[in-house]
Amino acid sequence: MKDHPLSNCEEKFVLAAIAENRRFDGRGVYIYRPIVILYGHDRGCCHVQIGCTRVLAQVSCEVIIPKQTRPNEGVLHMNVELSPMACPSFEAGKQSDYGVEVNRALERLLRDSLCIDLESLCIMSGEKVWQIRVDVHVLNHDGNLIDCSSIAAIAALSHFRRPDVTVSGEEVTIHPLDEKDAVPLSVNHIPLSVTFAFFDQGRTLLVDPTDQEERVMDGKMVVGINKHRELCMLHVSGKMLVLQDQVVRCVNIAAARVGEITDLIKDTLEKDNAARKSGKEFGFAKCLADVILGVDDLLKHYVDSMSVDTTSVGQTAKTVVDADGNRVQMEVDNAETGNVSIKVPGTGKMSTNTEGGAVTWCEGEESDSDVILLDKNDSTSSEVSSKQVSAVVELSDSEEESVLMTSQDLERTELSKSRAIETRENRGGRCRGKSFGGRNRGKRGRGNGQRYF
Amino acid sequence: MAVDLRLSCRIKQKPTTIYKEPDHLVTPGDVITTDTGFMRGHGTYMEDDKLYASVAGTVERVNKLICVQPLKSRYSGEVGDVVVGRIAEVGQKRWKVDTNSRLDSALLLSSVNLPGGELRRKTAEDELMMRQYLSEGDLISAEVQAVFHDGALSLHTRSLKYGKLSQGTLVKVSPSLVKRRKTHFHNLPCGASVIVGNNGYIWISPTVNEEADSTGGFVQDLNPVATADREVVARLHNCILAMARHRMMLSDTSIIYTYEASLAIGSLVKDLLKPEMESEVVTMARERLETES
Amino acid sequence: MAGVEVVSEQGFRTDGRKPNELRRIRCKQGVFSHADGSAYIEQGNTKVLATVYGPHEIRGSRSKALHDRAYVNCQFSMATFSTGERKQRPRGDRKSTEMTMHMKQTFEATILTQLYPRSQIDIFVEVLQADGGNFAACVNAATLALIDAGIPLKDYVCACTVGFVDDVTIVDINHLEETNHIAEFTVAMLPKSEQFVMLEMSSRLHLDHLSKVMDMATKACKDVHLVLDRAVRDHVSEVWQQLGNT
Repeated sequence: MKDHPLSNCEEKFVLAAIAENRRFDGRGVYIYRPIVILYGHDRGCCHVQIGCTRVLAQVSCEVIIPKQTRPNEGVLHMNVELSPMACPSFEAGKQSDYGVEVNRALERLLRDSLCIDLESLCIMSGEKVWQIRVDVHVLNHDGNLIDCSSIAAIAALSHFRRPDVTVSGEEVTIHPLDEKDAVPLSVNHIPLSVTFAFFDQGRTLLVDPTDQEERVMDGKMVVGINKHRELCMLHVSGKMLVLQDQVVRCVNIAAARVGEITDLIKDTLEKDNAARKSGKEFGFAKCLADVILGVDDLLKHYVDSMSVDTTSVGQTAKTVVDADGNRVQMEVDNAETGNVSIKVPGTGKMSTNTEGGAVTWCEGEESDSDVILLDKNDSTSSEVSSKQVSAVVELSDSEEESVLMTSQDLERTELSKSRAIETRENRGGRCRGKSFGGRNRGKRGRGNGQRYF
Repeated sequence: MAVDLRLSCRIKQKPTTIYKEPDHLVTPGDVITTDTGFMRGHGTYMEDDKLYASVAGTVERVNKLICVQPLKSRYSGEVGDVVVGRIAEVGQKRWKVDTNSRLDSALLLSSVNLPGGELRRKTAEDELMMRQYLSEGDLISAEVQAVFHDGALSLHTRSLKYGKLSQGTLVKVSPSLVKRRKTHFHNLPCGASVIVGNNGYIWISPTVNEEADSTGGFVQDLNPVATADREVVARLHNCILAMARHRMMLSDTSIIYTYEASLAIGSLVKDLLKPEMESEVVTMARERLETES
Repeated sequence: MAGVEVVSEQGFRTDGRKPNELRRIRCKQGVFSHADGSAYIEQGNTKVLATVYGPHEIRGSRSKALHDRAYVNCQFSMATFSTGERKQRPRGDRKSTEMTMHMKQTFEATILTQLYPRSQIDIFVEVLQADGGNFAACVNAATLALIDAGIPLKDYVCACTVGFVDDVTIVDINHLEETNHIAEFTVAMLPKSEQFVMLEMSSRLHLDHLSKVMDMATKACKDVHLVLDRAVRDHVSEVWQQLGNT
């Protein structure tokens, strides 16, 4: 399925915002989205989340005959699967160019930099060696797949335990897990990748681009580096030309970021080990439960409202056509712009001094009565909303009745039902459903369970 | 059946001569001038107030215009050029013709002569019958009528000398070897006629002594051609290939001289394909051209 | 891996070169008459053929056509007899696809594609003998082929491999040195403006050595540029004479 393209106005807007060093989620230019690392029940299973990008890595091992050119080295095999589950533009089966890029980047980062000691995987030289296979599945694509996959792969490799082996003469015994404890892989160093998105011919750099930023960037540079300031991989893609000092700058920034992420991986590994040793619960179910507050809230999502700095924003009006149809230059009073706060990603609530203006969609006398009714209810609803302690906002926009509502919601629904019936009679039921309530819904935040019909 | 085999190491290597560099030779990335008063032509680009060359060739300056001509490039047409092309596609009211240029040229239905006279209005029937006049794979000779803004050419065959080509041989050479002349249709004294297309496609056919008929050049004459004529055509074909390999400019005089030189050394037609024969014939023709100019 | 020493105590490498010496480069333009542009290059024992077709009408799917630029189509292929052991697949495996993508990206940035809207430029590269530095040789060959075809470029694209082992920077790595898991940089750049078009690095290298390695890479690419430029000038002079101009 072909991915829908980004519209021109969205593209221009994103580029203009980035030119002013502003990002859509308010991050700094060199800051990562929140990284969450979870380990599964099996050894070697790791789930990493950077913002909304999710990736699952699983490590497995097998005994095989080694390569003829390298008889006493094990084999590390990497595979990244981009399935249509992550993004509809990925094709099932056939590996696209992007898939090859991600695969090769990860192969170079982990295999060519020798992060695992391959000679320790040898059982019998020339006959039997361990093949370690890392399978990475991308679950959700919201930009920066390479970084996410690299964290998942190396965390999974550090988490994995292979069965212990004893060799006595010609006999090789592979001990099952109940006989002897599994042995960890010998990880030499932890290489991680940091992706930089370039804009404006390399003048603006962003770390950890989201999917939207990736679509409009000029090109990207992936720097693979470990905590000891050793460069493991460099990869530049996109049609841009870079200078030497840009490369050096990126590499230094990457070195700083990687230290934090390595500490996070080690931290989570220790926690998981401690949990397993002490007999506590471990695995995805437990971890996911810790991350999200309370089982009741599985359908709801609590977000702190973030405020946005609007001091540099002003209203402009180019020309206004007055009642006679003449173009008039209007002076705009910028003092009226109020504070904007983000309640849910993608919506904003703006509180101004006046509670909105007159409805100008529908002509005729009905509009006046509408206005009166709406204003009355507005004052009551604004009171109600101010009483609410926690703005519980539902994300499900479904038309079904099975929507959880609090008691206050039910009150409001009663009010709106009565109002809706009145206005519908007045207007002959012309404006229906969502469009009718659009203005008010925007004021209170999306999807708060109001049902307009 | 005799097969002629030779080892390339046995071919006498021609002595490596040091060629003199032409004046104003530039390669991509060279700075031509830092003077901003010049207009930039083909083969150049401007960056940071400096004019750079983007192809390898010699700088040509005409008053305020600076351009760099590459040695070899795809054919870029000009109005009035004669071209030989092959129909690539039959579309709505137009044929797409492959003429060795950047984009396929367009031959509009309104630019051809249809049977039944010149000034007939094109009806819907004509559109459906387009394939009967010219279908994919046919060779035509045409003239460039106009150049579209993206560089594609618009052709026309509105003269009786243009139209579908019937029996003969096509030779493809580089467009840079063909100079613009008054006429590109030559009837050679040896009994063959040659159409030298500006796009580097050259058509050799036996001379047909018929008066031009009123059907507008769409009827193909598929009568068998005599062996002697075929030999002449084949010899001309090999001569033109030899000239192209040695980068000699193609015109009716040079083709005739090369043909006569090949007859003079008494070679068989197929012997002209051997490298030594080629160079001999070409050098003889070159000398003759120089003495006569 | 024990055994082979990449740089000996006297400062010579396994093939007798000094660390900053390039292998001998021999190249020829215009090897094929059918293609618009072609070139053959030998860098030491690595032998590569490149052909260029275009710009021409887009064949196949019209959806590839870009309204404002030319579409660059590359193919990187290694002959089955090019490596020590017979290669099973000449093209289509991951490494070849990656090389193809890198070439496409390199040349899309260098060719002035805005001059040829709705056209297609094909670049085909075949490695006949692989002895290290395959990608670099391919890029150099493709540059020569593009210049032969008369396609406008911003500048030459010169590529080279640089390695770092035992505190010594070595230039133009051959296959034997590659198999020793040394830190390897593959660099393609525009020599006049010193801008990198493509950068790839494998294995481990400490950051402190990064600038040293990149400076050496810049110098190596400039040396390659001198050789290629000389070859192009000789070829142009020869053709110029043959065309009957004095």
